[in-house]
Amino acid sequence: MRPTAPQVKRIEDCIPALRRYALALVRDRDRADDLVHDCLVLAIGKQHTRREDTDLRAWMFTILHNVFVSQRRRQNIRPDAAYLDDTAAHAVGHRANQEDRLLWRDMLRALEQLPEEQRIVVLLVSVEDLSYAETAAVVGVPIGTVMSRLARGREKLRQLTGSEARPALRRVK
Amino acid sequence: MSDLGRPISDDDLHAYVDRLLDAERIPVIERHLRDHPAAAEKVAAYTMQRSLLRAALEDIADEPVPRRLDPYVIQHDLRSRRLWWRAAAAVLLAFGIGAGGGWSLHERMTPPSTITLLAEEAFANHAVFTADRRRPTELGAEQREDLARWVSNRMNHPVTPPDLSVAGYKYIGGRLAATPRGPAGMFMYQNEAGVRLTIFTRPVDDPTSQPLSVLAAGSLEGCAWTDKGMGYTVVAPLPAADVERLAAGVRLGLAG
Repeated sequence: MRPTAPQVKRIEDCIPALRRYALALVRDRDRADDLVHDCLVLAIGKQHTRREDTDLRAWMFTILHNVFVSQRRRQNIRPDAAYLDDTAAHAVGHRANQEDRLLWRDMLRALEQLPEEQRIVVLLVSVEDLSYAETAAVVGVPIGTVMSRLARGREKLRQLTGSEARPALRRVK
Repeated sequence: MSDLGRPISDDDLHAYVDRLLDAERIPVIERHLRDHPAAAEKVAAYTMQRSLLRAALEDIADEPVPRRLDPYVIQHDLRSRRLWWRAAAAVLLAFGIGAGGGWSLHERMTPPSTITLLAEEAFANHAVFTADRRRPTELGAEQREDLARWVSNRMNHPVTPPDLSVAGYKYIGGRLAATPRGPAGMFMYQNEAGVRLTIFTRPVDDPTSQPLSVLAAGSLEGCAWTDKGMGYTVVAPLPAADVERLAAGVRLGLAG
C-alpha cells in the first residue's frame, strides 16, 4: 500500500515546519534539509503503518526526531556560524527592521546555548505548537520530563536574554 | 489561591503561555498573575520568548521548498526503488545500529538465545521450503488474507505478510510452520532474479525488543530481532549487508 495523493498532500503541508524545526535544531541548512529528506522518505515509505488516530504532524516530527537522534549519535553536530546571521537577518531581511533582527538574533543565540534536550522541547512547544503530550511522544519521554525541560529551558532563556527587562514585542506579521 | 480547584503550578503558567489551558482555567490564572508579580513577570518573559522565536524562525517556513524535498518526487523515487536502500539505511540508523565500519554483529556479540533459536528455525524452514520449486508455499500470493488470518489465529497474534515490492521482492505465498516452541508463520518472496527470501515469525517469551542480529548458515544470511513479544527473522542467500537492509525495511513495516 502506498500513500494516496491526499496523504502526500498532507505530508507536503508539514514540510515548511519540519524544515524550520530541523534548521533550528542542527543550525546548518544542508544538514537540516538532509534530515527532512530522510524523514520524508521514511514517512512516505511508512505511511501505511501510521495509525489513523495519530496526528500526522506529530507523527512526522517523531520520525524527524528519530532520524536526528540516530545521526546525532554518529557525529557531533556543531553550529554553523553563518546560521544565526543567516536565519535572523538574511532570510527575513525584507520584512523586519534592524531592532527586531537584533532581538531575534539574541534569542537564537540564547536558544543555542540551551542543552539540546531543552532546546528541542522549547522549539516543539513554542514554535511548532505541539501539545505537551505530543511533544512527550515525539521525544519519547514522560510528560513530566517535557514540563521540567520546558521550565528549565525557558528560565535559562530568560537569564540569557534578560528578556524580563524588555518591552513587549509588537507583532511583526 | 484560587477558587477553582487545584492550586496553580508552574505547569499552569507554561500552559497559559502556550495557550493550552482549558478555557475555564484561564481567568483563574489571570487573577493569580495579578496578585503575584513574580509569576506575572515569568509569564511575560516566556510569552516574549515564544513570539521572538516564532518571528525569528517564521520565514524559514515561508521559503520555497527545494526540489529534493518534494514529496511527490520522493514518492516516485520510492516507487522506482531508487530510494529504498536509503530508507532502509535510515531505519537501521533509527534503530541505533549500523553506521560505518561494516556489519559484523555476529562476530562481536553472542546473540541472545531467543534470537539464536528463532534464527535456527527460520534457517531450517527457509532451506526446506524455498528449495521446493513446485510447491514452496501452502497458500499462494492470491490467498494472502487467508494465510494471514490462519497464521494469526494459530499464533494468537495478528501478523500479515509485509509488502516488499519496493525492494524488488514479490510475495509468492506462505505457510504455517512448526517449531519446538509452537506454531510460526513463514512468508516467502522472490525477486526478478529468482532469489527467494523468507520472513519467519512466531511469538517469543521475551517481551523486550531486541535489535537486529546477523546470523549466517552456509550460503544463507539471516537477520533476527524481536518486537513486543514477537520474533522475526529474514533469511535470504544474499550478502549480509543486503539481508540487513531488507530486514530493517521489514522491521519498519512491521513495527509501524
